[in-house]
Amino acid sequence: MKTMTHPAAGLAMDYHSLNAMLNLYGPNGEIQFEKDREAAREFFLQHVNQNTVFFHTLRERLDYLVEKEYYEQAVLDQYSFDFITSLNQLAYSKKFRFQTFLGAFKYYTSYTLKTFDGKRYLERFEDRVVMTALGLAQGDEQLAISLVEEIIAGRFQPATPTFLNSGKAQRGELVSCFLLRIEDNMESISRGINSSLQLSKRGGGVALLLSNIRESGAPIKQIENQSSGIIPVMKLLEDSFSYANQLGARQGAGAVYLHAHHPDIMRFLDTKRENADEKVRIKTLSLGVVVPDITFELAKKDEDMYLFSPYDVERVYGVPFADISVSEKYHEMVDDPRIKKSKMKARDFFQTLAEIQFESGYPYIMFEDTVNAANPIKGRINMSNLCSEILQVNTPTTYNEDLSYDKIGKDISCNLGSMNIALSMDSPDFGKTVETAIRGLNAVSEQSHISSVRSIEDGNDKSHAIGLGQMNLHGYLARERVYYGSEEGIDFTNIYFYTVLFHALRASNKLAVERGHAFDGFEDSTYASGAFFDKYTDQVWAPATTRVVELFEASSVSIPTQADWAELRASVMAHGIYNQNLQAVPPTGSISYINNSTSSIHPIASKIEIRKEGKLGRVYYPAPFLTNDNLDFYQDAYEIGAEKIIDTYAAATQHVDQGLSLTLFFKDTATTRDINKAQIYAWRKGIKTIYYIRLRQLALEGTEVDGCVSCML
Amino acid sequence: MIDKLKLVSHVDAINWNKIEDEKDVEVWNRLVNNFWLPEKIPLSNDVQSWATLTPVEQQLTMRVFTGLTLLDTIQGTVGAVSLIPDAITPHEEAVYTNIAFMESVHAKSYSSIFSTLCSTKEIDEAFRWSTENVNLQKKAAIVMDYYQGDDPLKRKVASTLLESFLFYSGFYLPMYWSSRAKLTNTADLIRLIIRDEAVHGYYIGYKYQKGLETASQERRDEMKDYTFNLVYELYENEVQYTQDLYDEVGLTEDVKKFLHYNANKALMNLGYEAMFPKSVTDVNPAILSALSPNADENHDFFSGSGSSYVIGKAVNTEDADWDF
Repeated sequence: MKTMTHPAAGLAMDYHSLNAMLNLYGPNGEIQFEKDREAAREFFLQHVNQNTVFFHTLRERLDYLVEKEYYEQAVLDQYSFDFITSLNQLAYSKKFRFQTFLGAFKYYTSYTLKTFDGKRYLERFEDRVVMTALGLAQGDEQLAISLVEEIIAGRFQPATPTFLNSGKAQRGELVSCFLLRIEDNMESISRGINSSLQLSKRGGGVALLLSNIRESGAPIKQIENQSSGIIPVMKLLEDSFSYANQLGARQGAGAVYLHAHHPDIMRFLDTKRENADEKVRIKTLSLGVVVPDITFELAKKDEDMYLFSPYDVERVYGVPFADISVSEKYHEMVDDPRIKKSKMKARDFFQTLAEIQFESGYPYIMFEDTVNAANPIKGRINMSNLCSEILQVNTPTTYNEDLSYDKIGKDISCNLGSMNIALSMDSPDFGKTVETAIRGLNAVSEQSHISSVRSIEDGNDKSHAIGLGQMNLHGYLARERVYYGSEEGIDFTNIYFYTVLFHALRASNKLAVERGHAFDGFEDSTYASGAFFDKYTDQVWAPATTRVVELFEASSVSIPTQADWAELRASVMAHGIYNQNLQAVPPTGSISYINNSTSSIHPIASKIEIRKEGKLGRVYYPAPFLTNDNLDFYQDAYEIGAEKIIDTYAAATQHVDQGLSLTLFFKDTATTRDINKAQIYAWRKGIKTIYYIRLRQLALEGTEVDGCVSCML
Repeated sequence: MIDKLKLVSHVDAINWNKIEDEKDVEVWNRLVNNFWLPEKIPLSNDVQSWATLTPVEQQLTMRVFTGLTLLDTIQGTVGAVSLIPDAITPHEEAVYTNIAFMESVHAKSYSSIFSTLCSTKEIDEAFRWSTENVNLQKKAAIVMDYYQGDDPLKRKVASTLLESFLFYSGFYLPMYWSSRAKLTNTADLIRLIIRDEAVHGYYIGYKYQKGLETASQERRDEMKDYTFNLVYELYENEVQYTQDLYDEVGLTEDVKKFLHYNANKALMNLGYEAMFPKSVTDVNPAILSALSPNADENHDFFSGSGSSYVIGKAVNTEDADWDF
């Protein structure tokens, strides 16, 4: 399939070259969009059509795929063959076409079902959508139809693990993300590594909490200077993730979170230094730092920040370090002689953070107190996940001496899916689009039983947490000729997310009514007390600008009123909601390419994005709805700058119960101080987490390639 | 080899607060920011991809990298160092020492690729090939010859041609692989090298033009003749070398266009007009687009570390920044 043949002169150009011409200006200085469409066409003609297995009828196809163990018989058995036929016809009647080369290439490289030797394709896009809908709907024909309609129209796109795996007989899990606690004992550490292997094998990213592990030099069995701290644990995890991947489909990926006031924090950060020693260098594991408000207060006063031994803290307070609020207990712990501590300048900490971000893009940051203040659920949030959008409460697991479970705590899993904002604003029934998405996500949670990690399985059974995301914000705004980060742009973001929240809660409330119960612990939440709804029933939420009023008037989307909220509150307080968590806005890499969206609610990285992935190589992607006539509205993230991105995210954050992956973009002329200022601004604006820092360095004048679109600003 | 070590005869303490040529500082800063080590690239992620190459493709890839290793070794231990005695400003000397060091980093990087992807026996065979290939050795000999000559400007020409032209027959291959989703982490590493070489070639070329400013017309004419003759001599040899490498996989025609393109680029760095007409420099767009030394790839963090990160400028925050 992939040989090194190169078309001789005079033959049709190969699709990679056509695609690359997107990045080279045409003779009149225009972007050559038509070359990318040609690339997509040639990709089908030269490659896909010639390598797709042909079947005479649907019956023949399904029988073959079940018999050869490509499709899961149980999924198809839930429906009559007539229904499957009509669903198939519905999908094909929509005349789906990939809008870009990368969309098609990504889909066929990473999602579609292939023969076991990997050489031929067994599905087209429509087939994958039908199988996903059949798998998620669990025999509910109406839901299956709704899912096909929403997915094929591009309004809703399930996350990669769900869309990749649904209906396949040989597959990983449908869930995107896992979050595991590690406690300060060898049983918990080794269980954490084992669980990481198990979860990586099944797909999904895994994040682990390191804050509870005693620091290097801490005593073991009361003998001082014994522990080697968190770095060796990180090394073990890094190797574990490299080893396990999901049938080669996705590389295992992991993240670790550490509290800013953990004594090993500087060692933790130094693992990502450019000149770190091989023994401590961390290459592929992602890092996250949990920062409480007190650290900002100390930096403001230019004071020292004390770091506390988790070993001693646990002995003094009787709970693991991550389960106490450092902001609240800070001065108490400083004054407690039983707690061993060290100190450093708070501002030095922030500066180091920024230096490492410059060199590596890491660490992520979670603003601990902001997150917990906004949490409607009882309990404490002490970590996030691989993409920093999952924010849920957890509880520790304890083990017996033979490594069996003593008490199974609650760990976190989350399955994701995102709505395309532009196409959802065009939806004939916005409420139904949201409800279908919620039902699709909920189905994943109900179908998932990760028995190899009991704390995850238990957590999922009790909470049915899901994360509805959003993407294509910039694409939508540009299509409507609104600038990203402008007053109108932020106004729209606010009202859009406000409206999504309403419909998401209503859908989950319906599910609770249908299932006859709410999530475990609902009665202790601010949903049950009604307090959650105060900010929606006590004030009017409406567009502040005429442009946004127009945008909503032109759509089918009606903005919920205070009366709507009062009604919803009554129903929620009476029946509960089925899902402990509802929204989380992921970064949407892959799925936004096949869905023809801009990623998440970020601005575009470039008008013509250069995408680089292990499985794709280097490919070029034009921003959705971009033409040679509306280039103005496609300022990239580096030009737009941190402040407007943060303002946009802040508008969305107030309506999202979990987090939003927020990447900050800087030109290489930025300094660590600029990064620090952006962090302070984000924290002040109520942002919950910061994901990557991305840097763009332009070629030194005189060394650039002429006529290259991505080089010109 | 070098008969007699030439050293700068007199050294004053370098004062970075008294700059004679702003370009020195600009390039120094760029090079320092761009510092990197091969260890940061997760090359082992390419092991699976390496296994999908045919034996012929693997052999080609290794030969290309041994060829590049040789050139980087020359540039690190002889080329950049030989420019130091001719430097006009002390800061220029400092830049050359940085260039020399990074060339050694590059040379070592290829070894990282080898040791990650291949067996010792294969590595030894590839190195043996590099010592036995007539055209590769000739390329090295031509350049070494000029480095040892006593004309400072000619040394700069040879050095610029090495940095901006001779490397690229080799750079073609990893760029080609990465556009085909093969060895993408290796391509990340090579892009870091290209990022460096682009600056090196540009800078040495710039210094050459500076040197030419004070020269007589006669001398300028001589240098131009010399440059074009050398380009031609190297080009002839480079075509042979390209055929040795790429004939077996059918990419020779495409690589030649790439040679033309980069020969023109090298001449441009030296301040001269192009030698090859546009009709023979229409490089495969997938390669040309990948060549841009901009660090602007939107990479997927989970499958690689990317080639866009730099060492940041550390600046303290001030009280006003913390005003909340």
